[in-house]
Amino acid sequence: MTTIIDGYCTLGTERETRLSPEMLLSWMDKAGVSKAVIAPEDREIAVENAQGNDRILELSRLSKGRFIPACTVNPWFGPAGCQELRRAVATGARMLVLAPALQGFIANDELTSGLLQTAGQLDVPVYVHTGQHSSAAPTQVVLLAARHPETTFVLGHCGSTDYAHDMPAVLRSATKNLWFEASLARPWAVGAYTAALAGRNMIFGSSAPRNDPAFELKHLTRYLPLDEYPNVYGGNLAKLLKEPL
Amino acid sequence: MFFDAHTHLGLHVAVDDKGLADWLATWTQFGVTHGAVFPMDGLMSDSRVRQNNDEVAAACARSGGRMLPFCTVNPNFGADALAEFRRCLETLGCRGLKLHPWLQGIGPNSKEVDALCELAGEFHVPVLFHDGTPCFSLPSQMALLARRHPQTTIILGHCGLFEHWREAIDAMHYADNVWGCLCSPHLAAHRELVARADKRRLLWGSDHGFGSIDQVVYRTGLFRLLDLGDDDRDAIVHRNPARLFGLAA
Repeated sequence: MTTIIDGYCTLGTERETRLSPEMLLSWMDKAGVSKAVIAPEDREIAVENAQGNDRILELSRLSKGRFIPACTVNPWFGPAGCQELRRAVATGARMLVLAPALQGFIANDELTSGLLQTAGQLDVPVYVHTGQHSSAAPTQVVLLAARHPETTFVLGHCGSTDYAHDMPAVLRSATKNLWFEASLARPWAVGAYTAALAGRNMIFGSSAPRNDPAFELKHLTRYLPLDEYPNVYGGNLAKLLKEPL
Repeated sequence: MFFDAHTHLGLHVAVDDKGLADWLATWTQFGVTHGAVFPMDGLMSDSRVRQNNDEVAAACARSGGRMLPFCTVNPNFGADALAEFRRCLETLGCRGLKLHPWLQGIGPNSKEVDALCELAGEFHVPVLFHDGTPCFSLPSQMALLARRHPQTTIILGHCGLFEHWREAIDAMHYADNVWGCLCSPHLAAHRELVARADKRRLLWGSDHGFGSIDQVVYRTGLFRLLDLGDDDRDAIVHRNPARLFGLAA
């Protein structure tokens, strides 16, 4: 039986990411998902970092191990942002989320250097939302990962949609500290990416509630059957986050 | 009727008899009865424009009325593009123009695109754009184009994709002649579009032919997942395309 971990969900309170913990748990149960990484919502990613981090950490504490908390810091906060990352990780956060388009920087801007070094010191992977035009291209994240070998990165969404054209080159250029998360990418494309990676470093994610986890799993498993790719659905992420399966 | 407003013929799908039979069988399998069919090769290669327009029109002519042909031209070629568009309308009976500005290398707010939209308006056919991609394919760019050509229906072929769907809603509010095709935004964006845009100007599309049958499998599934009421569903896949293309309701 494959343990499924959803690599990225948003437990939001407003706009299109509104989703209650109870509803996410219900969706997870329906889809056969054991655990899910949960992240702050857009406003919290952009400006209300600490408030969002505290909210997500509290929801995770109440979830009896079903939710794995991710935190966020806007790199424009500089040293204060690094301090917020240390605080959030000390309180239980397992992954740092950056969303360059929301937070107002280009992915490989040197602005992020201090924050990424801190993440590396704390051994916390950094999830970068890609696909946003100009601000978060997969190729930018490749350069970022090359510049910060001490830090592990998760390339969120595999560049969907239009940067999908870059993905073959990105996969060929990927350093060992670069991982890939599949939400929003088309299922057939994820199958090809996973084959190129020989199954390594690919992580299933749904981006719920932007997508429906059961629907995404149903379609992705057509290309990557659960029993053949257990690591994509849980093993890889568990290894990355040192999370027991 | 269940109308697929965004498909491509050529390159990934052969335009021979077998390709046509497979195409129609796929539509039937997923409940699609009719659809708009765009060239594919012609978007990728200027040397293939005329031939691909001919191929698409010929295939559609053999479909028993299920496939409505669109043509494409590269606006950069000015008078030649205009002449080819006119040929497609007058000789091939094309029902619309497909443009892919970032592939074809021209902004929607250019005088060459203006000329094509003018001709489309004269012939009462829509112009469908790839959209959702800077720097040549933003919904707002098409909204300004639409305001300049109020007699022409401008369709956002992807309703802004993942990042520009809010802009697509805004574009539809800005200009009454902007329509949106639900083809590629994520599920939550689909829901917002249906809730906030004018439902009388929404269509649905699969992007069938841009790659494998998987596009149809995934996007018909996503559309079902919206769980629309009968009236909304009927508007998007039946009444709106029937009105736009003058099909029997």
